[in-house]
Amino acid sequence: MNERKMILGDVWNLPREVSEVTGKDPGTFLQFNTHMVTFYQQTYGELSRFFLALRDGRLIGSHCGTCKQVMVPAATWHCPTCDFAEMTEVDLPHRGVLAATAPITIFPSASFIGDAPFARGYVDVATDAPIASFLPSRLRTTTGLPRPGIFVKGVELKPVFEDVRIGSIRDIFWVPMSEVPAKLRDKKPLLASALNFETPPAPAVERSTAGAKALKDALAAMKTLAGKIDKSPRAQKDLSGRTHAIGIKTGGGNFTLHVASSAIRIEMGLPKKPDFVMVAKDPAIFTRWVADGSLTDAAVEGNLWLPHKEAFGILPILDRLPRSVRRDVK
Amino acid sequence: MNKVAIVGAGITDCRSRWVEATYWDLFQRATRRTLEDAKITAAEVDSVVYGIYNDIFEHQAIPESALTGMIGMNLKPGTRVTSGGATGFYAMRTAIMEVASGVSDTVLCIGGEKATDCYDPQSKSATPMVIDTIAKSWDPFFEYPLGATAADSYMQMCMGYNDQYPNDIGDSVVRAKIIEMLCRQGNKNPFGQRRDETVTVEQVLASRWIIAPFLRLLEACMYTEGAAGVLFASEKKAREISERTGVPPIWVKGVGAANESYQAGRGGSYKPLHSIVSDRVAAERAYKMAGVKPSDIQLVELHDAFIAQFMITMGEMGFVPLGKTRTLVDDGIMADIRELGDTKRPKKGQLLLNPSGGLIFGGHFVGGSNMFSMWSARREMIKRQMPLALIHGTGAINAVFGGALIVELEDGGVR
Repeated sequence: MNERKMILGDVWNLPREVSEVTGKDPGTFLQFNTHMVTFYQQTYGELSRFFLALRDGRLIGSHCGTCKQVMVPAATWHCPTCDFAEMTEVDLPHRGVLAATAPITIFPSASFIGDAPFARGYVDVATDAPIASFLPSRLRTTTGLPRPGIFVKGVELKPVFEDVRIGSIRDIFWVPMSEVPAKLRDKKPLLASALNFETPPAPAVERSTAGAKALKDALAAMKTLAGKIDKSPRAQKDLSGRTHAIGIKTGGGNFTLHVASSAIRIEMGLPKKPDFVMVAKDPAIFTRWVADGSLTDAAVEGNLWLPHKEAFGILPILDRLPRSVRRDVK
Repeated sequence: MNKVAIVGAGITDCRSRWVEATYWDLFQRATRRTLEDAKITAAEVDSVVYGIYNDIFEHQAIPESALTGMIGMNLKPGTRVTSGGATGFYAMRTAIMEVASGVSDTVLCIGGEKATDCYDPQSKSATPMVIDTIAKSWDPFFEYPLGATAADSYMQMCMGYNDQYPNDIGDSVVRAKIIEMLCRQGNKNPFGQRRDETVTVEQVLASRWIIAPFLRLLEACMYTEGAAGVLFASEKKAREISERTGVPPIWVKGVGAANESYQAGRGGSYKPLHSIVSDRVAAERAYKMAGVKPSDIQLVELHDAFIAQFMITMGEMGFVPLGKTRTLVDDGIMADIRELGDTKRPKKGQLLLNPSGGLIFGGHFVGGSNMFSMWSARREMIKRQMPLALIHGTGAINAVFGGALIVELEDGGVR
């Protein structure tokens, strides 16, 4: 039997207590744990038609016969610019165009921790209409994590419907049409199970002499860091309870970053059973990481390829290590 | 419309968290300082307008009800204004209209916020919960479920602008240079939250990403706890108070406001993604009412939620061309506070922008941030003898709420 998902998990709760707190001014002050939570059974009301259509695998908009605009999603059935004239339902095509380059969220709000990085953007669906609103949309790629250069203004997109739909805007998302096999491009609805998001192909990386030299430097830097971690309680705490074998392909060669027993170990070559494989054309990003740089930034900027968000979640922990070592040396 | 003047202003210390004070106390402190500045008692105030962004941060529905007696406004009319990030601007607009209509002679406009008592048990920190609360400015049907936040809505605007005008706000070094300059200005604000910090271009460029590719941590405004007040008065009352304090009145010359549609789209009345039309229209309305042009104004306190948006807004308000807002740095249009010191006016063709340090270095307690900007503009006008200033406010998702106030120093400076 499927586990029933609740709105709030245990992690959202706090013990009922009053604690002492200090601030900028002298003295001790008190703070109490409390909450301001309201639960809803929120009606979709007039929006229900749009969400019922989504459940049926259709996209609909509301059309005004006077000004010819199409509202996507169908957010009202009375045209706000034509004295609230009655609007009619129109079926929308299963393709659209990204209206503006999409931002990629790295630091999300509390409700979306664990989902980052993710892209959200506005899709122009009713492209034949002279006036149209844009559909707020989740944007996904079959090529790994979202990164700059994929969701740019004007890119053609295909809506993908979740196999199980409940009547939510998260029942659909959009992928670049170029990532959809030709035989599926006209499919209505295209289901998520028809595409592969779980095992994106790693990009090829060409080896070079410069890359080999950069890798040599990076390996030396990382081995030095590994030695310092062995003497740093803060860094060991960062790694506590973690075991990973991360394969890394670079333009200078491949290596493995092992995390185990609150330590890291570097080994040449890829592991037989990696947790995941990262790809970096330039191995120097690992030298910069050790010098207080950021693997997270490298991934965000598209210089470090990752297959999924679970891999992305490990990067902040690795990014903390050089800082933790430095703080313990101080 | 009757003449309206600013005759007093006061703010609290801006802090990341005030464990020493509730919002009751913060509002009372700001009220006390505002009235002390104008040398009047609470009894002389006719009416109060509260700027309070939301009930969740204050953790009380109708939070202004608890303030009435606490700030000496018992049995006086009180109006609470809430308009997203532009709450402070709209609260001041409401107070100005009350005086301009002749209904009241003296109106206290007081705003503040206590946001960082919020707590996220997952990360064991305040910020994700503060972001989540603000993210609920989005609707629960289409936008919030996608993980939309206020910051990413502003960044969507910036990316739309960048699509339209490449090679302007996309240069991270230009953005970082503006931040370095704002930091120096923030160092001079005795109440500023980050007055003791030094932030360099290099630090900005090395700070972690919040939203790629236009928002690093050091490019964003802060969450601040604090409060600020501004006292508005009729002409007769303003002259009487000015006589008492020896401080010249600052006259309200222009008020412009415009809110765009919530829905983004193409054509019609939809919100365009490449432009902050609300800022442009609000500023144009304020210029028209004041009878001035952007080139007449050399002092601006701009609602800099994010530095890329700061640049776009400067373009929208007509201070620099759209698509060439980087000229603020490239052409030295943004005056360097190291050259101006504490009393000099900027040279012709230069602008003094956010001498308070803005919302990035000074403070951003949403309900009162624009009053904080007004406090700073008044202070600078008096000490530098600058005749005109523009105070800007923006808010709501996608920056769809816009407001601009133009004020003039009586007998101040040389035109």
